[in-house]
Amino acid sequence: MIPEPTLSHLKDRIAAADHPRELVVDVMFALQEHYGYLSDEAVETTGALLGMSPLQVEELATFYTFLYREPVGRYVIHLCDSVICWLDGAESLRDHLCRKLKIEMGRTTPDGLFTLLPVCCIGYCDRSPAMLVNRKVYGPLTPEKVDELLEKLKQESE
Amino acid sequence: MSSQETKKYPSVLLQNRHPDRIATLDEYRRSGGYEGLTALLGAGNPKQAQQVLLDANLLGRGGAAFPAGKKMMTIAENAPFPRYVVCNADEMEPGTFKDRVLIFADPHQLIEGIVIAGYAARASHGIIFIRPEYEQAARIMEREIEVARSEGLVGRNILQSGYDMEIVVHRSGGRYICGEATAQINALMGVRPNPKQPPPYPTTKGLWQRPTVVQNVETLCCMPHILRNGAQWFGSLALTENGAGTKVFCVSGRVERPGCYELPMGVPLKEIVEVHAGGIKNGGRFKACLPGGASTAFVPARLYDIPMDYESLKQEGFRLGTAAVMVFDHSDCLVDATVNLLDFFARESCGWCTPCRDGLPYIRDLMKRVEAGRGSTETIEKIETMCRHMWSAYCAFAPGAVSPVQGLMAEFKDEVMAHVEQGGCPFK
Amino acid sequence: MPKLIIDDISVAVPEGTKVIEAAEQVGIHIPRFCYHPALGSVGACRVCAVKFLQGPFKGVQMSCMIEAADGMVVSTTDPEAVDFRRHVIEWLMINHPHDCPVCDEGGHCLLQDMTVSGGHGMRRYQGKKRTYLDQDLGPLVQHEMNRCIQCYRCSRFYQEYAGYRDLGVMGIASRVYYGRFGPGTLKSPFSGNLIDICPTGVYTDRPSRYKGRRWDYERTPSVCIHCCLGCRITVNVRYREVVRIEARYSPTVNGHFICDRGRYGFFYASSDRRPRKARSGGAETRPKNARDEAAHRLEEITARHGSGSVAVVGGSRSTLETLAAERRICRQLGWQGPSLFTGTEESAAARRAAGHLTTDLAVSLEALKNADLILVAGADPINEAPMAALAIRQAARNGAHIEVIDPRPVTLPLEYVHRPAGTDKISEILRGLGKPSTEDASGDIQDLAARLDQSRRPVVVCGAGKIASERTVEQAARLARNLRRAGKKAGLFFVMTGANTFAACRMAGDPADLETLLLMIEDGKVRALVVVEADPMSEYPDLARLVDALAKLDLMVVLDCIDTETARAAHVFFPTQTFFETGGTLINNEARIQQARPAFAGGTPISQTGGGSHPPRVFRDDIPGTEALSAGQLLMDIVSALSGGISRSVEEFDGVAPEFSGFDPVEATGERGTWAKLPLRTAAGPDSPQMGGETPIKKGELLLVESVYGTEALSRSSPWLQELESEPALTLHPEDASRWGLQHGDRCELSTEAGALTVPVHTSRSTAPGTLVLPRHRRLRWQVFQHFRSGLDTVRIRKTGGEGA
Ligand SMILES: Cc1cc2nc3c(=O)[nH]c(=O)nc-3n(C[C@H](O)[C@H](O)[C@H](O)COP(=O)(O)O)c2cc1C
Ligand code: SF4
Ligand code: SF4
Ligand code: SF4
Ligand code: FES
Ligand code: FES
Repeated sequence: MIPEPTLSHLKDRIAAADHPRELVVDVMFALQEHYGYLSDEAVETTGALLGMSPLQVEELATFYTFLYREPVGRYVIHLCDSVICWLDGAESLRDHLCRKLKIEMGRTTPDGLFTLLPVCCIGYCDRSPAMLVNRKVYGPLTPEKVDELLEKLKQESE
Repeated sequence: MSSQETKKYPSVLLQNRHPDRIATLDEYRRSGGYEGLTALLGAGNPKQAQQVLLDANLLGRGGAAFPAGKKMMTIAENAPFPRYVVCNADEMEPGTFKDRVLIFADPHQLIEGIVIAGYAARASHGIIFIRPEYEQAARIMEREIEVARSEGLVGRNILQSGYDMEIVVHRSGGRYICGEATAQINALMGVRPNPKQPPPYPTTKGLWQRPTVVQNVETLCCMPHILRNGAQWFGSLALTENGAGTKVFCVSGRVERPGCYELPMGVPLKEIVEVHAGGIKNGGRFKACLPGGASTAFVPARLYDIPMDYESLKQEGFRLGTAAVMVFDHSDCLVDATVNLLDFFARESCGWCTPCRDGLPYIRDLMKRVEAGRGSTETIEKIETMCRHMWSAYCAFAPGAVSPVQGLMAEFKDEVMAHVEQGGCPFK
Repeated sequence: MPKLIIDDISVAVPEGTKVIEAAEQVGIHIPRFCYHPALGSVGACRVCAVKFLQGPFKGVQMSCMIEAADGMVVSTTDPEAVDFRRHVIEWLMINHPHDCPVCDEGGHCLLQDMTVSGGHGMRRYQGKKRTYLDQDLGPLVQHEMNRCIQCYRCSRFYQEYAGYRDLGVMGIASRVYYGRFGPGTLKSPFSGNLIDICPTGVYTDRPSRYKGRRWDYERTPSVCIHCCLGCRITVNVRYREVVRIEARYSPTVNGHFICDRGRYGFFYASSDRRPRKARSGGAETRPKNARDEAAHRLEEITARHGSGSVAVVGGSRSTLETLAAERRICRQLGWQGPSLFTGTEESAAARRAAGHLTTDLAVSLEALKNADLILVAGADPINEAPMAALAIRQAARNGAHIEVIDPRPVTLPLEYVHRPAGTDKISEILRGLGKPSTEDASGDIQDLAARLDQSRRPVVVCGAGKIASERTVEQAARLARNLRRAGKKAGLFFVMTGANTFAACRMAGDPADLETLLLMIEDGKVRALVVVEADPMSEYPDLARLVDALAKLDLMVVLDCIDTETARAAHVFFPTQTFFETGGTLINNEARIQQARPAFAGGTPISQTGGGSHPPRVFRDDIPGTEALSAGQLLMDIVSALSGGISRSVEEFDGVAPEFSGFDPVEATGERGTWAKLPLRTAAGPDSPQMGGETPIKKGELLLVESVYGTEALSRSSPWLQELESEPALTLHPEDASRWGLQHGDRCELSTEAGALTVPVHTSRSTAPGTLVLPRHRRLRWQVFQHFRSGLDTVRIRKTGGEGA
């Protein structure tokens, strides 16, 4: 269940909106924040809040990159694989991350800490190769910097 | 930013840029900020604003280079209200990050631009549509909108003029196609962000079926300066006859100092790369660049001196796009780079029309074969034919997607053929 | 009228015509996938590309997106356009599973046709195919997503056109997926249209899965008989079995679509429970014996009690031919009837409606879509005439204001205003609105009155039968007429109770209804009944009274194609042919005469006679199960055996009823879809005399209503539709519910002197206060309430389940 303050905040915003549907992405993000990912329940709740059917919410949820319809780790790593980062070694960085975390792209570590996803250019080509961790940007990256960061995140989570 | 040569050009949009912090409202005001708006609301009228934007030859900076003043003028006098201004801060064109830099540098410049555009279009709502990767920028904008509101610059009765305009920030869920104006409008309405082919144009029936002006961040950021200093001044900023204003170039790839450089429209490509961005990294040679993001064609070294403005590039068959200059050097395989670009486009296709949705993966597959040395002249012919057909897709995404491929085939056929003839990549 | 040249042929088309449509007018069929005339153009598939040589557009462009304009020169055969289209098809095929040999669409697949005609005969793509998982969409529609070519027709039809929200498009890029949020039965009663509009085999007809190829089927144009609208259908028969119904395009009635009741209601026709043998005293007998016995006993009864002691009971699922035979027989032999309606009120309302429909007011289903205001009074379109709801939705999409005045919790797939008013209030409201000056309109309908005043093409959609009273019908007609007098293009659209109710209104004799006839049975005047294609024992609201009355009869002869309760109670029973076998004429709610040809010769399906082996191993020279005749023919055969009997062809209409003299169904309806209408008064005559007011409802009212599935006589035996039925429930306003201590989800017992039934309770704020709504559902023994609208003073309500029960 979504905590009452979150829910009532959303309800207030929806009530104040000229067109409730314009808030659908915001509502999905808010519920994703709560569940960790956009669960079936979150899709249904979004629909109920906005007068949409779950399918209509799903039509949008499955369109966007940053809405996760499957469980993800505590840290979602989006590694940029577009052309500038690619020039600067995004592929070897990807291999490094996969080796380090012992997962393939698109997977979550068994401890539920890290999910590894590709993403297209995140607008930090001046800091390539770059990646996002929970939407915070890191770059330019080297394997060493990646190791450091992973270590730091692991410690933070303990 | 501190290189000596950069000083010889006036800095306009980035004049308040600091390496480590955001310009405050006071700073912005000290540099003449909100003077344009004050004058407009005091003694001007919407028509006048439209005219000055038209006279300034302000071309849309989001890629399509449509004259901003002309766009405003297509709104019928008696068109219904409320009307909307959408600030396009989606900036998902690979290689492009100027809008982020502009927001981080001087958020009030954008706010003033939105209010001016709003006034010119007689709009009461401004919406900043921003990509999710720019969450921090979204928060800056929200905070600074409140600052502006408390100063009477946004909201009801702006500067006691009787003009009302609210500005909100809308976060995208993240997709390249959401940057396309009509898809963006759909995204804002909470429906699937497929583009919508005009007519009707957004300025007739846009957001919630009302007149809507969609304008790029940089375009909007130019407006305060044009209103303050006049159309002629704006024109005089450019180095070329046909250009107007400055342009924020995002330089990335094989350069020493990747970053955003505000330079006069029409500055030579070579100067951008060699002087402002510090030259090619590690002593390499310039081989080609994508001059305006991933959906433009490779500009070869023979055009290294080309003036970077819309018209000059157009004359050579290129597009300035977003002026995101992505530089490749002699060691880069452009075939391989093109495969990467096609990966991007095939993944980001909105899925609405057949050529783009199914044709791009096809072309990518063929291109991969060529790259791996498994292509033939027939493969290349197939690629070329399909690329040509891509121009009959539903929206500008697909033509953009094949622009680098077509550029590759036009300018670097030898490199492509080398893959075929050697049965593999000559660069590996 | 813009003039253009397409492939050297010049053509002038109305303003706004798309080039793809203009080409069609000169016989050039430009390929298309996403374009559909009912759904419009969206430019998604790009297969309709042609080359524009001259005019405002140049080069390869989509013919579905561009309106014909003067000076255009268009080539569909230009090599560039042809090559582009070939590529589009190649792209569409890169992920296609190439499973045509096992695909039910094979043989009538647009994708197959386009692939072949587009010249894509060789697979060149060497990459991997993308695959999907399918969903279970319920008993009607089979899902096979790998065949999808992403034309978006389905999601557009389902959500935009039909207004349902549980099927759509998900995902992005080359992974877009069409389906539901999760597996589960489609909620739309129009879901079967997905099968027709999907250009490939993603959605196929589930009941007929693997039964044959399109070319194996005997395909016959026909008319749907599951409600009053008479949608056009195509019947598919194979091996003496009706296997599938498809929508058939009609420019005036149903357009391109039909409802699921109409598509999947046909099970009765080939059911193994269909009666194939005549019966006497419950035992099977030879047809001739049964005929002799019936004739003999009728002879006896008339000899003893006079000709008025025999009555014919019929109904509105009979063809015009059968109804005419009934009428002719009753008139010539002096029999009572034919009684074609169940109740007196129903008959009065229906016949008044038929009388009020004038040529200027009658609107077709198609024309309903052009209304700018639709007032639905005493009708529940989704449940009574589903396609009317779809037409109303199209009007709403075009900007029409829709308002419903009905006590039931009417739901429509569109935005509308609902005024829940008791059945006794509807006519009053209409009367208020119908006053020439809207100032007289009482406060809360001012708004509606003003809207009517501003409308230009208003249509009044009114029920005419069991729920809407005769007074409601009268006021609806007056309102429509007044609007027309005020210079509007006003229309009147009655929702009637059965497929051929309009014909029944003209063919009914005296008494016109069973309720009146029962009095005559009860006082011994009528001693024998001939029941033709009707089932009073499942349809008459007072079963106890009916049973008592029938017990007094000396003879009950029943003719029917389904084994009804009434059929089982008959002394002599005759199996009849279904409409699929007889064909015949129907008159729909708009007075439109529609004729269907026989779809097949009848007989027991081979799937039943073959005992599982095919072809059948026993050779015989007759077709098993073909004893049945058309009801009209049978009736004629029986009476021709009577002394003084008549023998006329059922196709002759002379002297049956005034407007039918010289009527020849085949001629009247023409050969190719030029459907004529029944002669109506051309314009409103003098107003009929003012009727008295409604009898006010005292303590409240219980309504026995129709629901989309489970109530209509023929479709309710369809096992596929039965799977879709929701449990029949009592619906009432929550405040009324609390009067009996009831809440949503409780169970309650409803009882009268005649019996009791237990149902779940649904509360709905859109039910009129004081009104209880219960479907006449096959799963309920609802015939204890005595009337379709009964006062609550005779009904007891008791909570039997739920909290605190
Ligand atoms: C596929 C595609 C992506 C686009 N992405 C963006 C974008 O991210 N930001 C942007 O400002 N314009 C983008 N555009 C251009 C917009 O459609 C539109 O032309 C622009 O926002 C108008 O503003 P301007 O005239 O100020 O440039 C894109 C266009 C296409 C076809
Ligand atoms: S070209 Fe077609 S599929 Fe591609 S983004 Fe545009 S509309 Fe979508
Ligand atoms: S399922 Fe059929 S109708 Fe729907 S998009 Fe695919 S091919 Fe078109
Ligand atoms: S609306 Fe009526 S006539 Fe039309 S298909 Fe449905 S049941 Fe048949
Ligand atoms: S290419 Fe990686 S951030 Fe732009
Ligand atoms: S039919 Fe014209 S684009 Fe699909």
